[in-house]
Amino acid sequence: MFHWLEKHPFFFALSVFVVIAYAGLIEIVPSFAQASRPLVGTTPYSTLELAGRQVYIKNSCNACHSQLVRPFKSETDRYGHYSMSGEYAYDRPFLWGSKRTGPDLMRVGNYRTTDWHENHMKDPAAVVPGSIMPKYPWLYDNEVDLETAYAEQLTVAQFFSVPYNKEIPMKDGTTKVIKMGDSIAESNALALEEARIIVADMKDQNIKDAVASGKIPEIVAIIAYMNSLK
Amino acid sequence: MNKIYLWGVIVTAIMLAATGYTLIETAGGKKDLSEVLSGDIVNTLAVAGAVALVIITVFVVLKYVRQMQVDSADGELAEESWDDIGEYYNPIPTGWAIMYLVTMVWGMWYFVVGYPVNSYSQIGEYNEDVAVHNAKFEKKYASITGDRLVEMGESVFLTECKVCHGLAADGVDGKAADLNVRLAVTTVKDVIMNGSNNSLLGSENPMPNRDGIMNANKDYAPITDAEIDTVSAYVANGMSGEGADVFAGACAVCHGEDGKGMEYVAPNIATYDQTLIVNVLNHGKKGSIGTMPAFDRLNTKQKEAVSAYIISLSKGE
Repeated sequence: MFHWLEKHPFFFALSVFVVIAYAGLIEIVPSFAQASRPLVGTTPYSTLELAGRQVYIKNSCNACHSQLVRPFKSETDRYGHYSMSGEYAYDRPFLWGSKRTGPDLMRVGNYRTTDWHENHMKDPAAVVPGSIMPKYPWLYDNEVDLETAYAEQLTVAQFFSVPYNKEIPMKDGTTKVIKMGDSIAESNALALEEARIIVADMKDQNIKDAVASGKIPEIVAIIAYMNSLK
Repeated sequence: MNKIYLWGVIVTAIMLAATGYTLIETAGGKKDLSEVLSGDIVNTLAVAGAVALVIITVFVVLKYVRQMQVDSADGELAEESWDDIGEYYNPIPTGWAIMYLVTMVWGMWYFVVGYPVNSYSQIGEYNEDVAVHNAKFEKKYASITGDRLVEMGESVFLTECKVCHGLAADGVDGKAADLNVRLAVTTVKDVIMNGSNNSLLGSENPMPNRDGIMNANKDYAPITDAEIDTVSAYVANGMSGEGADVFAGACAVCHGEDGKGMEYVAPNIATYDQTLIVNVLNHGKKGSIGTMPAFDRLNTKQKEAVSAYIISLSKGE
């Protein structure tokens, strides 16, 4: 049989492919299937957080900020616990990043707060002397796109069985429900409810007024997203 | 005699002569060969090795040159032929084949049962690194005090705290607390107006808001706006200036005459102290300026150091 294969390059190449593909399958698929399950305590993004995530992507934050803490002491001292694959279960797409011009943001919700982000995005250098991060003033004017966030929620809930409106087990044994609206109106109402909690900690009166009148500026959504990164 | 053997002898002689010459040169140039070899067994061994290398090289080269001259094709041809280029059927040497298979089996054992898959993990390596580092840290800084503790605190501050509190710990224009003073007027005023949950001290009893603060010196009348302004300025000024009477009447019952607080009842509002700072680092804080996150990932020594640094700041030099 091997002599026959040696004389027939096409079938030889085909059998090489089959052997390697089989080895790859039994090696990669089981561990991938296990590692990509959500960790206990990992929850899907709420509407506002997801909208903030889209603002993050839109402004290319991931070009300078990674979201992956490697298991080295120098990194875990600075950023907290190293990342685990299950924590990215609801990230579509993942935002690991490949270059750190700025610091890692995987767990930024643990050590920065709403009011800090509010000051920082307006003028980073005024908060952190010497920072080369540019200003993002338009975040305070642009209104966030909640419809797209809702569409994404619907899609992932339907095609990837992301557990919205279901009980999700948490680390302390309790459960948590991440709500998703049944309609755009309901989804917007949920997002607004969440935005009110965020702006309570903010100082900018224009932002407070905007949220009070039912509009959500992008800055509120991206802060909701930042605070969810833990 | 084939001419090739003659060449072999000539080349061997030249190479041996060169070896001898190099030996004598490196040994100083004047001694003869026997003197060079008499010194050390290492020299003798090296020379023996060099001679063996020369002879083996010449022997091997001769063998293959000879084979090229006289060898003719024989042996069994394999059935394949690629563009009329055939291949001899050469059975694999048994010893080699056995070693090959044994190595493969060992390799599989090593990879699966032995070290990599069975015993190595990246996280395990990380855990070991951290344990080693922590042990070293504990040992090196177990008895650090005074200026060195303050220095350590400064370096932790510059890594973790300056992002919000600023390089000079001045709070960057009111964006965070100014740590060079114990309390700012606005902070004191905010706490008097709104009260405080006091949970940092582990106390069940919160500080009341302004409706619950009475001035004992004025027959327990509720504190007035003017009194709030006066006493806020007094506390922010480091417990000096105008307002001592209001403080004595309204605040001293919990915070003490000197403002240094009472355990489990009221925090020290005259100066920073370690208990307070470590509490804030462990639990974070929500104040009039904003929310400070917890920094409980610092270790005990680092928290102590940060406290020492902040205490040193508010005392001036």
